[in-house]
Amino acid sequence: MMRIRSAALPFVLTIFCGSCLLLAQQAPVKRFAGPGSMTFFVTSVGLGKGGDLGGLAGADAHCQALATAVGAGHHTWHAYLSTQARGGQPAINARDRIGTGPWYNSKGEYIARGLADLHGDTIELARQGTNLFKQSALNEKGQVVNGAGDTPNVHDILTGSQTDGRAYSDDKDHTCNNWTSSGAGSAQVGHSDRIGGGNTSWNSSHATKGCSQKDLESTGGAGLFYCFAAH
Amino acid sequence: MTQKWIVAIIFTIPALLCSFLLSAQPVPAQQHHPMTFFVTSATIGKGGDLGGLAGADAHCQALATAVGAGNHTWHAYLSTQARGDQPAINARDRIGQGPWYNAKGEMIAHGLADLHGDTLELARLGNNVNKLTALTEKGDIVPGLNDNPNPEDRKWAYASTHPNSDRHEMLTGSHTDGRAYTEAKDHTCNNWTSSAPGNGKTIQGNTGPAAQVGLSDRNGGRNGSWNSAHATRGCSQDDLAFSHGVGLFYCFAVN
Repeated sequence: MMRIRSAALPFVLTIFCGSCLLLAQQAPVKRFAGPGSMTFFVTSVGLGKGGDLGGLAGADAHCQALATAVGAGHHTWHAYLSTQARGGQPAINARDRIGTGPWYNSKGEYIARGLADLHGDTIELARQGTNLFKQSALNEKGQVVNGAGDTPNVHDILTGSQTDGRAYSDDKDHTCNNWTSSGAGSAQVGHSDRIGGGNTSWNSSHATKGCSQKDLESTGGAGLFYCFAAH
Repeated sequence: MTQKWIVAIIFTIPALLCSFLLSAQPVPAQQHHPMTFFVTSATIGKGGDLGGLAGADAHCQALATAVGAGNHTWHAYLSTQARGDQPAINARDRIGQGPWYNAKGEMIAHGLADLHGDTLELARLGNNVNKLTALTEKGDIVPGLNDNPNPEDRKWAYASTHPNSDRHEMLTGSHTDGRAYTEAKDHTCNNWTSSAPGNGKTIQGNTGPAAQVGLSDRNGGRNGSWNSAHATRGCSQDDLAFSHGVGLFYCFAVN
């Protein structure tokens, strides 16, 4: 009896540890849900001034305020927005502002494990895509954001970014003058429902017609943006 | 008087011509493109047994013919794995060159490269397969994730009698690049001839027959891939229903 037990023990331990490792390898699909564990959301409302968000600082403050209102203010929240190099100021990449993940929505569903799968840094990751889609790209209140086919459609999410999450380096405006213009200019947007623009990009689907609130609304937007907990 | 008329006509005719040309310029994109892509509106009903590629192709052709699109040669977007002496067949090699349009004339992809994301940028952008474009041959939207959810909708008995329940899983048997799997494990319900149940209670627990599926609404599966999101739990009609599929697949016009 003793002999069998001592012989079996290493086997049992090995199997046990093996299954532990297997479980640990996979990022949890869901973890404890609730505002406290939320590290990603779409703003439930815009700032109402088109592409003028008060710069990155104003956009970040909006993320922080919305998060605080639902009890998630203990994180440092950043808007997923790039800015372009202007007047001696270097460009800032949205992907460099949001920490390293993993990120979860308000229901505890994971959006991406990290920067690489969020942006499709390899061709296989890019082909698969992120877990960000209409049913998971929730606002801070846990609500689905209206998309194509809904009224009003507000799926155009301001990013000012290329598909890799980096800023544009050309002279053309892609950021409503670094998020200070509600008139001239244009902003690059992604689709929270992954529908439209002839592609399925969440962060770089097409440009807006202009930077006024009306311009944003005319192509299915409301000046919403993504917020990520940087830590 | 006559001079006034002549002047008026001289000014009016070019103006009319101009406005006609201007209004004609925007291409009425939705009208000139016959359907060359659809999602099957009906399942064959025998799980992963589609009667092989030939049976699946015939299903595409029959559904297309029923809506007056039988003039094309239709192929199912399905891969098969190498078995015995038979080499593998890649879904992407069966569907022509594109471009492909849905029943409303909306473009799905320009060609094989953007359909599959053959470059990093194309892959990041993604093709135009989504819930509102991946229509059946009748032009209907395929019910997807969280459409009319019900705890019973993972059972075929329920799904078969509730046509609006989630059925967004498309059989493909393919990798994200549209090619067949090269390993021994089954990803094609034995090359679309098996309706055998899996041997596990979950997808991960199954080591038996299974099919790789994509999601027509790009919602779910932890990645939203249109052609390679995850495996099924097995190959019976009930196993397909377990993860919100009923055995639908994509059909493409080869010519």
